[in-house]
Amino acid sequence: MSTLLAILWKDLTIELRSRERVLAMGVFSLLVVVVFHFSLPGGATSATRDTAPGLLWIAYVFAALLGLGRSFSLELENDALSGIAMAPAEQGWVFLGKAAANWVILGVVQALTALVFGLVFQLDLAPVALPLAGVVALGSLGLCAVGTLASAVAARTRLREVILPVLLLPVLWPVLRGAVRATSELLATGEVPFEAIQFLIVTDGVYLIVSFLVFEYVLDE
Amino acid sequence: MPDAPFPPDSRSRSLWVSGLLLVAVGLWCAVAVAGAPSDATQGVVQKILYVHVPCAFAAYLGFATTAVCSALYLWKPQERFDRVAASGAEVGVLFCTLNILSGPIWAKATWGHWWAWDPRLTVTLMLWFIYLAYLLLRSFTEGSERTARFAAVYGLLGFLAVPLNYLAIDLFGGAAMHPDNLERDSLGAGMGLPFLASVVTGIAAFVYLLLLRVDLGARKLDAAARELGV
Repeated sequence: MSTLLAILWKDLTIELRSRERVLAMGVFSLLVVVVFHFSLPGGATSATRDTAPGLLWIAYVFAALLGLGRSFSLELENDALSGIAMAPAEQGWVFLGKAAANWVILGVVQALTALVFGLVFQLDLAPVALPLAGVVALGSLGLCAVGTLASAVAARTRLREVILPVLLLPVLWPVLRGAVRATSELLATGEVPFEAIQFLIVTDGVYLIVSFLVFEYVLDE
Repeated sequence: MPDAPFPPDSRSRSLWVSGLLLVAVGLWCAVAVAGAPSDATQGVVQKILYVHVPCAFAAYLGFATTAVCSALYLWKPQERFDRVAASGAEVGVLFCTLNILSGPIWAKATWGHWWAWDPRLTVTLMLWFIYLAYLLLRSFTEGSERTARFAAVYGLLGFLAVPLNYLAIDLFGGAAMHPDNLERDSLGAGMGLPFLASVVTGIAAFVYLLLLRVDLGARKLDAAARELGV
């Protein structure tokens, strides 16, 4: 547990000092939202508003890919990754610390993106803000669990920027399906979609447990 | 000298036996499928069933082989486990490709369009992408030990989609266009035996190709060892 907190504190401190990931992810996801608006026929019509949950999650996934890619590549500088690998700590807790840091950083970007998304697509998100934050947090948990593992693998490969989305997007399918469905139902009815949330919780749990167990095999000196 | 899964004599004997078995069950399958009744509403195009479903089962077998050997590799890092895991993924992707290609031919004739975002179709496509990514990961990672380790982790993670695929109809029901799983008697009268023959042939083809690919991997390794003078 102390390993988790130490890694989380380290990553968040680095981010607070540099602000490079939040800035890059934030600007990129805002750009994606604006590009969606320009590329959809008629801009914010009722038809495009129906697809809004899917578009919102695409923006989130694109932003996450940027942040996750940096999560382990920054550890390659000065070979810090070897230090983490050799640290006398359970590697699974290192994974949870990295995943938690990614989750917090992505959460900040998601809040900002949702705000702009609501304005651009003329959606009133205020009445469902709290349950929406819960759904997004759950979806992001699965995204960060499997994304952190994929990022650790991709960091030690050639063409790591290319391989990360190729590894991540296919296994992300259940999380995305659950998250988009939950967001759609919430925006359409204003009620908490329990069935979609159950599916998300199970998916998040499976990905967290599997990633926790296998993480020690992706760290090497 | 690197450890080989089987000595060369045993490898070529296994290949011969599985090859002969494949020819035998293949002939049985051809006769059984030719004599099978055509579906009353779909006509002769329904016979794609005898290629489409066995390819899916063979793909599942390939991915299960990868998952089991990946777990074994993480438990005991021996090169032979990695070789069988990689072979399982390659053969699995081949059968999954055949499954995805044969499906639209059937779909166009029965559903009226080449592709539908039916839950099973979608998960099968994701499964195909997962194991393509697995093969790409192997080619992008340097160092045989690291390649094997990373691939084993991803091979295990990717296998989570296989039960999801099998249960897709039950889990995501609703708009499913695929029939229910086989225990629900979705086969017509007189189709059971030809279907069994086609599944056995699919499994025999999988075993033969897997052994062939494992043998090829062993030969490559032997050649590399000879070149290095080990």
